[in-house]
Amino acid sequence: MDVSAMIPELLSALPLTLAITFTALIAGFCLALLATTLRVHRVPVISHLADLYVSYARSVPVVLQLFVAFYGLPLLVVLFGSEDFFSPTIAAMVALSFYHGGYLSEVLRPAYLAVDRGQHDAADSLGYTFRQKITRVVGPQAVHFALPGYGNSVIYLIHNVALVMYIGAADVMATAHLIMERDYNQYQFETYLVLAVIYSVMCLIAWLIVRFFELRSPMQAPEATAKAQIKNALIASA
Amino acid sequence: MLELKDIRLSYGTTQVLNGVNLSVKRGDVVSIIGPSGTGKTTLLKCINYLARPSSGTIAFDQIQMDYQRADKNAVQAIRLRTAMVFQQFNVFKNMTVIQNVMDPLVVVQRKSKEEAQEIALRELDRVGLSSKRDSYPSQLSGGQLQRTGIARALAVRPDVMLFDEPTSSLDPELVGEVLKVIRDVTSSGITSLLVTHEMQFAKSISNRIVFMDRGVVAADGSPAEIFDSPSSPRLAQFLSSEHSLQ
Repeated sequence: MDVSAMIPELLSALPLTLAITFTALIAGFCLALLATTLRVHRVPVISHLADLYVSYARSVPVVLQLFVAFYGLPLLVVLFGSEDFFSPTIAAMVALSFYHGGYLSEVLRPAYLAVDRGQHDAADSLGYTFRQKITRVVGPQAVHFALPGYGNSVIYLIHNVALVMYIGAADVMATAHLIMERDYNQYQFETYLVLAVIYSVMCLIAWLIVRFFELRSPMQAPEATAKAQIKNALIASA
Repeated sequence: MLELKDIRLSYGTTQVLNGVNLSVKRGDVVSIIGPSGTGKTTLLKCINYLARPSSGTIAFDQIQMDYQRADKNAVQAIRLRTAMVFQQFNVFKNMTVIQNVMDPLVVVQRKSKEEAQEIALRELDRVGLSSKRDSYPSQLSGGQLQRTGIARALAVRPDVMLFDEPTSSLDPELVGEVLKVIRDVTSSGITSLLVTHEMQFAKSISNRIVFMDRGVVAADGSPAEIFDSPSSPRLAQFLSSEHSLQ
């Protein structure tokens, strides 16, 4: 099979891969914020539940989390008297959101705790409310500490989206397998190579976006602009 | 103006403040001296409730609060009338110098940006940092950071300034520039409490010296009373050890 014919077919599955990725990114971030808040401000019982959730998300293999969601969620909704509406895609979105949220919580929690106690004291002494302190002082500094870890967690998420084919979601990896089987597995190397390029490009774009924000941070060493530093980083990696 | 009664505070089993009484009149410049670990900084932080005493009361003009029943509104009212300068500067690291000074005015005091900027520029000029207004904390020396902290504190127009060992984290070369600014501030008539190990400085700017030892106020008097005729052997011993260091 001609590679130029394979690429459009693989790319046709990209919107679904991106939809799963973005859903997990957004829902996972919200879950991570919630879990981090509960784990930093120890609320009896609820904080322990948050600990349990993070432990599950970090210690259970992602492919297993996908199976648990795919087979478990329909049972759960039926138990509550609702009809099973879970497709592989929805199950993949739910499972990866939970995985990403738990993983990200272990990025956000240390980032929050890394903000110097004195910054809290200064804001408190000036009469900032808790919300003002978080949005104006502590939050932006925690974001600075969290960004490198956040970049890693986004890249891990993109990698793990490739596993959704095991529960039958038709992402680029699943589409690649369909193409290979259709061609009697003659072009496996070429197909995997194209797939590797697609994942590399997705990860590179994600890394560049995160790196841009990292370098734009006011707490970053100020001598070079973000644009110049990204250019230098690209030259160095070439 | 400010009266603290029977303040007690412990960290775990360590009793830090053991029944401190202190009253400050408007316009007073009170220096708090004493050995390290004797509760000077903790006492200062009790005033704006950054440290939480287990018992005792505070009266700040009309604001009254029993620390055993700390009231959120009273704490906020006290914080809005005081400003603290920290040993470790605690300048907001994500903001430029001018943003550090403007932010509390805009966010807490709800002033317009124009008015906040005008005040900030005036205070930065006062501490000699106008040229550094757009610098980030990572670009400043310790002395400049502390002067930013002082400008931020002055900008909120506090009734009482709380200086917590403002020069202890500075290189000897940078101490002078900060002391000059503090001298300027205290001579303007603003009520100030200063925790310091700079004995000569404390003597020259204060109208009262409080000596703390083992969590209590062990001596309280004018600079002449404290430095020239120490009332207790412990105070004399402390002053002589500080003197030999300086």
